[in-house]
Formats: sequence, C-alpha cells, structure tokens
Amino acid sequence: MKNFILTFVAVLAGGLLSHWGVPWWGLVPVGLAAGWLIRNTPARGFAAGFLAGFLLWGIWAFALDHANEGILSARIGMLFQGLGNWTLILITALLGGLVAGFAVLSGSLGYDLAFPPKKGPYARRRRRR
Amino acid sequence: MRLIRFLFAFLPLAGLVWALSVPLKAGDKTLPALGRFFSPFSGFWQNAESANAPDAIPIQAKLPALKGPVEVVWDDMMVPHIFAGDPNDAAMVQGYIHASHRLFQMDIVSRQTAGRLSEVIGPRTLEADRLIRRRGLPWAVERNWKSVQESPRTVQLLEAYAAGVNAYIDQLSPATLPLEYKLMNFEPERWSPERSLFVVANMIDALNNRDNDLAATNSLAVFGRDTFNYLYPNWNAKQTPIIPDTGQWADIQPLVRQETVSGQTAPGSAPPERSELSPNRDLNGSNNWAVAGSRTRSGAPILCNDTHLPLRLPHVWYVQQIQTPQFNSYGIVVPGVPLLAIGFNSDVAWGFTNCSHEVADWYRLQWTDGGKTTYLLDGQPRKAELRVEEIRVKGAPAVRDTVRYTDWGPVVYDQPDHPLHDCAYRYVAHDPMKPESLYEFLNISSARNYDDYRKAIPGLEALSQNVAFASRNGAIALTVQGKFPVRQNGQGRFVQDGTAWANNWAGYIPASQLPAMRNPSRGFVYSANQHSTPPTYPYYYIGNFDHSRGRRIYQRLENMRDITIDSMKSIQLDNYSQRAADGLHALLRRVKREQLNDSEKKWLSALEQWDARYQPDQIAPSLFEMWFDSTYVHTWDEMENLRRQKTAVLFPEHWRFCELLETDSASVFFDELSTPRREEAGDIVTAGFHKMAARAEKMPSDSLQWHTFKGFVLKHLAMLDAFSRLDVSVGGSRNSPNAISSNHGPTWRMIVEMGAPIRALGVYPGGQSGNPGSRYYDNFVDAWARGDYFDLVFLSQSGEQNPRILARQTFTHGS
Repeated sequence: MKNFILTFVAVLAGGLLSHWGVPWWGLVPVGLAAGWLIRNTPARGFAAGFLAGFLLWGIWAFALDHANEGILSARIGMLFQGLGNWTLILITALLGGLVAGFAVLSGSLGYDLAFPPKKGPYARRRRRR
Repeated sequence: MRLIRFLFAFLPLAGLVWALSVPLKAGDKTLPALGRFFSPFSGFWQNAESANAPDAIPIQAKLPALKGPVEVVWDDMMVPHIFAGDPNDAAMVQGYIHASHRLFQMDIVSRQTAGRLSEVIGPRTLEADRLIRRRGLPWAVERNWKSVQESPRTVQLLEAYAAGVNAYIDQLSPATLPLEYKLMNFEPERWSPERSLFVVANMIDALNNRDNDLAATNSLAVFGRDTFNYLYPNWNAKQTPIIPDTGQWADIQPLVRQETVSGQTAPGSAPPERSELSPNRDLNGSNNWAVAGSRTRSGAPILCNDTHLPLRLPHVWYVQQIQTPQFNSYGIVVPGVPLLAIGFNSDVAWGFTNCSHEVADWYRLQWTDGGKTTYLLDGQPRKAELRVEEIRVKGAPAVRDTVRYTDWGPVVYDQPDHPLHDCAYRYVAHDPMKPESLYEFLNISSARNYDDYRKAIPGLEALSQNVAFASRNGAIALTVQGKFPVRQNGQGRFVQDGTAWANNWAGYIPASQLPAMRNPSRGFVYSANQHSTPPTYPYYYIGNFDHSRGRRIYQRLENMRDITIDSMKSIQLDNYSQRAADGLHALLRRVKREQLNDSEKKWLSALEQWDARYQPDQIAPSLFEMWFDSTYVHTWDEMENLRRQKTAVLFPEHWRFCELLETDSASVFFDELSTPRREEAGDIVTAGFHKMAARAEKMPSDSLQWHTFKGFVLKHLAMLDAFSRLDVSVGGSRNSPNAISSNHGPTWRMIVEMGAPIRALGVYPGGQSGNPGSRYYDNFVDAWARGDYFDLVFLSQSGEQNPRILARQTFTHGS
C-alpha cells in the first residue's frame, strides 16, 4: 500500500512539474520513471498511475473550466458534436489517466525485464538500488 | 514471457502516445492532435480565461525599444487607453495589445492579402491565394513598401508597431498560444511593416474591389444600346445625392473632354461570354451624417457613423484611445495597423462611408505570339513582364504561377475558358501609395478644425470614402475622397480595347475638384453609399450606388429638429426600407386581386398593413421578400436564362424594376419567354404572389418571422460554427438604415456629440478579445442586437479617475 501511495504521489507531483516546459506527454517519462523505481504489482502500478494522471488532468481541467464559468468548454463541446463540459473534463481526465497508467505499467514491467526477480515475477521484494 | 508482459504494457502506451500525437483528419479539415489539445497544461483548457478577474488584460511587459514608460488604462469594455510620450512608443504598445487580443485575426488577414493562406491551411485555399496574387495585390504592396521606405518616420512607426507585436509573439508558449493556432496546427508568423501594409491593402480591396464590366459588356451585346439604356439607367431621379449642386462646379474644366466613347469599348457584336463570376458581391456600405448645432437640443453638432461590413468574430474593428503629446483621440482601428480609422478627439469627430465609384477596369489584349509574351499597343509590340508567384502549400508541393504584367496591369485569369482571359486589369489599388500617406492620415487624430481634417484625408489614398466631419466649434462637413479616374463619358462601363493607350485613364480627379460641402444651410450632411453628386457634376463616373438608405436618412434628418442622441439612435436603428416601400407600392398596384383565393387574401392583407419596417418578429417582411424576389426573377427571365448558362449579365437595379412596374407595365420584359401567351406586369406580379403564398403556406409561422427567415449568423473568421454566434435575433434589412442582412451589417455604431464635455456612444457586435475562451469575446453582441449603446470612456489624462476603470498598467523599457 505504501508503494501504491508513493507511486501515486510521485506521478502526481512529477506530472505537475513536468508540465512546465515539457509538451503534453510529460506524464510518460514521469510514469516510466515511477514504475521503474517504485515496486508494485502491475495492477497496482497501473491503478496508481491511472489515478494520479486522471486526477491531475481532471482536476486541472475542472479548475480552469470552473473559473471560466464554462464559456470555452461550451464552444469546444460544439466542435465535438455537442459534448458537455463534464464530458470534456472526463475525456481529459481519462486521457491523463490512461497515459500515466500505461507509463507506470511499462516502467514497472520494463524493470522486471531488465532485472528479473528470483522467485516468480511478483513476489514481495525490496526495492533495489 | 517477461518480454511479452512488457510489450502488453508498452505497446498500448506507444500506441496511445502516437494516436494522441497525430492530427486527426475529418473530411477536408484537420483536427488537432488530441493529446496536445486536451492536455489541461498546454491545450485548449489553457485558453479558458477566468471569467471574474479580468484575465483578458495582457500581461504587463517590458518592451526593449520603448523610449519612455507607457501607461495603459483598461475600462470595463476592455478598451485600452494608451498614454505615451512618443508616437512610436504608442505604436509599439498598440502592437503588443492588438496582438494579445487579436493575433490570429491579424495573421490571417495579412496572409489572405499576401496570398499566403495555403502555407498554413493547405490546398483548400490555393485558388484564393492564386487569385489575389494574380489580381496584383502582393505586387502592389511590394511597391507600397518601397515607396513608404522613403519616409523614415513612417518606417519607424510601422517598425515600432511590429516590434510590439513581436514582443508578444516571443513571449508565447505552447500553452498560451491563441486557441485557433492549437486547433489549426500552425504557429503565428512574426510581424513586419509590410504585414501592416497588407492589412491596409486588405481593407482597401474589401471596399473598392468591384466592377461590372464583363456583365455590362455581355448585356450590351445581347440587348443592344437602346434596350441597354432602357434597362440600366445610371441615374435614379428620386435619389438624393451626397453633395447637391449649388453651382460650385460651374468653373471646373475637366481634364478630358466629355465625348461619348464609341470605338474604344469592346465591340458590341461580340458573342456573350461565359462567366462564373457572381453578379453582385457588393454589400459593403455604411451610413454617416453630421448635424449642425442649429438642429440639436444641446446646440452642439452631432456626428454619427455606422459602417456596414461582413460581420465576423473576432470583430473587424478594435476600439482604443491613444494619447501622445500630439493628440488624444478615441476610435476604431483595424488590428494590424497603428492608426485610428474612425473616431474623435476633444475638438473634432470624423466618420466614413464607402464611396461606390468603380475604380477597376478591364482591357482586352491582342497577343502577337502563341506564347502570349508580346501584345500590341498602338501598333507596336510590347513585351509583357513575367512575374513568378511561388505559393507554398501545407502538405503539398509548392505551386509556381506565372503572371503576365502589361502596361495596363496584370492578366488575372489564365484559364482559357474564362471570359476575362487575355484581359489586363487596371485597378486603382495598384498605384503605389505616397511615402507619407499613412502619417498624413495619422494627423486626423490631432485635427483641431476643418482645415486639419481636409489636409489629413488625402492620406487615405486609394481608399475611396465619404468622410463626414463635425467639430466642437460648430463646423460640419462632408468630403468625397479617393483616387477617381478621369473618364470619358461611358468609359469603363464595359471591357475596353487594350490595343490603344488612348483608352487609359487620364489621371485622377484633383482633390480640390472632388465633391465636398461644408456648413450647408440645411444644417446637416450625410451619406449612405448613394451617388456622390447629381449628373451635373462635370466628371463622368460609374459605380454601384445604394438608392434606398440615403433617401430614408435624408427624409428623417430633414424633418428632425431639437435633435438629441436618442433621435440619432432612432435613425441608426431604423428598420424601414425605402426599397420595400417603393416595391410594395408597385406590387400592390399591379397584383390582380380577383385571382387570389381566400387564404392568399390573408397574406395580402398582412402585406397591405405592413409599414415597410423589417421588425424581427413580423412575417410581412418575409412575405414581401419572397414576393419581390419571385416577381423579379420571373420578370428578368431573359437575364436569368443567360445566368443559368453561366454568362455574366447585368440585372436591372431594384429601383428601376419598381419604376418599370409603375410606369411601363406592358414592357416586353414582363412577358415570360417560356409561355405562349403575352404577359404584362400584373400577370407576373400575380404569379409571383401565388408562388410566395404556396411557399408561405408550407412554412411554420415561426420560420416566417423575419429574424428567422433572414437567418442571421455571426460567423467566426475561420467559419468554425463552435466559435460563432448563431442565436442572435435581429431586425433590419440590407436596404434599411439599420442594414443588417444575414451576415453583414453595422460593424460600429457611433454617435458623438461635440459638446463640452464630449459625449460619445458606440457598440459593435463582438468583443475586444479575439479569444473564444474569454468573456470579452462576444460581450457586446447582445447589446448590439437589442439596439443598446455603451457610453465611451474618453479620458483627458492617464491619472483621471473614473468608476469604470478596471486596471492600470505601465509598460516600461527593458528586456
């Protein structure tokens, strides 16, 4: 559970920081690094990454939309066949979640590929240096 | 095994990143890459301005080349009031501010006139780019720029402006890029003085580019001279020209003798030519007037202006106040140019309407070789200059296009089946501007009196305008300004013979002989795109003149005493149409009532009670339009048949149609060609009524209401519905003083009372910010539609207190 939270926080904070200066895919290196460095089962790793990406993008979009009183999301919604602002926020959050989730998962499984664990792939183990 | 597991995670990731990174194709449009577009850190969400705090105010910047601090005060209309110690500093801050609110618009407008849209949009705009280049606009701007470089102060002004725009562009990040760039996948191009000249050329071309030469030539060939004169007279005796004849032209000796042109026009026996040209694209017009203190309640003159142009978001104009040691003035600018176009200062106010003289002609060439490089002029072979236009196209190879330039001008159409193929184009906007023109016109901002105004307006150059004027010391005036070719009688109405140099324009009408009036005893001056003068004016001219708004405005002004700002509003917002009043009278007179059934009589009585006002919730205006149109089309089936065969042909003007209905109901033109019997006006009018009634019966009553029937839309510049306003309900019509048609109308309603202090009102259908994510994008639209105005905040100095001030900022020197 501790590593789940650690991964979640790492992706959230790293994701936030990466967005100053890195294009939209900033979550990818952050997720890969978090997955590589912090041990989790694949499901947990994915979930932690997904949740962090989902919340980061979702809340950020929500905050901007709220301050804007939905002026822009109403117009963008029309560009996409009349989607509402909540749907746009949900799409944004899902994109952030999926990218971050798969990035953490890839990082984690990539680590396993490079450094095969001794007893079965997902036995509990310490984090290696 | 582990590899497979890894790939199960990595391949979806790679796929996802790829899918979100490539622009999507939807039909012929591309949508942005979804990852970048949806990212709340760099995508569209970043353009969502906070609705409460005035996020729309540009961030305060240091501008390296500023000579001193520049204060900018923002009011609640998001209008900047710029206080600078130097005109170039003022220009630089304008550049920064225009860019921060309207960068995409500036970029697109300048690209459009440069024929460089395809670079960023793709093959879709290639033909438009090719045509504007072949019409010689970029060529002319190159020449203008060469000329302007002889005036160091003009260059400095334009360079300062460009530096301001570029300072804004340089601080942009992928996140703060204007929304349209994110959507359309390109980046803003840096600004330059030439790009400002392209924006100027765009305005001149939008207002001056019109000619009916081809259609007139074809009509003359088909109908012969007598019928031609019968169908298309130049002068409507009912109209009230802008400048009446008071004997002021008696002494003018025109530069050419007024002889009727005979041999010079293209031969009348030539077969009609095919054309895809639209017969009438001329909607741009405007109203302006000034009333003297003798007619106003306050005793101060009042100047009014509403400029009718295509209505778009972002709006064509930007509103601002500029104060420098030389002047303190308020008004509208075209983003891209650091000059007030229309406005006022503490001493004078001025306003424009378009002057509809035709200033473009076509000359048929005679080539002496198959390769079309040499043409005949006065019996001598002349070599055409070849200019190669290279048009870069996004996602496709560049296109090279060779344009032949003759002594007349460029050969515009190279398609062999185009009727103007082998014709050279002579256009007043091709003449290079004088080096100091922009500066000259800048001086209108510092005008103190009539003389200053007269000195400044020739700076408008080829932009032909009726310029109204009022001053605080009580003067009112109106001047017709522009470069108007001196023509022989009849010259330029038809495609001309390009083998004789004698057919060239004999110069331009001298400014001192252009129609003008000052302080007339009637106490008002006005214009609404009608004829400049009665036919007694010694120079011949042609054009597309409006016959409807001018008559109405004249009647209203003539009968008005004790004028207030509210009575001025009532003219600007007047939905009455003189064309409808005349048309309705003629139609009702000719319709055969005994042939109408009971349900048709219901429509008839609605029309009989109609007062020719295009009110938004009435159905009579819609009925009238349908009736008038169908009667018109059936009457002119001779022309309609030609048009269907893609032959450009003149249609008689509406006022002439009404006149013929009233006075010549047995005219052969009322006979329909497709029927064996011989119809007269009453038959056509009644048949038109049946058609209208049949159509009206099928329509639900709410779609018969004028505002729905008209289908008003306020479209985004790039035609994106999502950024347009499609829900605005307005009255008025093309021929009403309140000239709102479906996508065209009053772009800046302004009323200025020249008292102490000055009181000014204004409104436009848009908002100061060009950002669709800003509440200042369209915040004036509803007020404009309702007919409300805003009181304009005119500050005497930067420190002045005013409850409507939102924020103050200072731009400083620095890097």
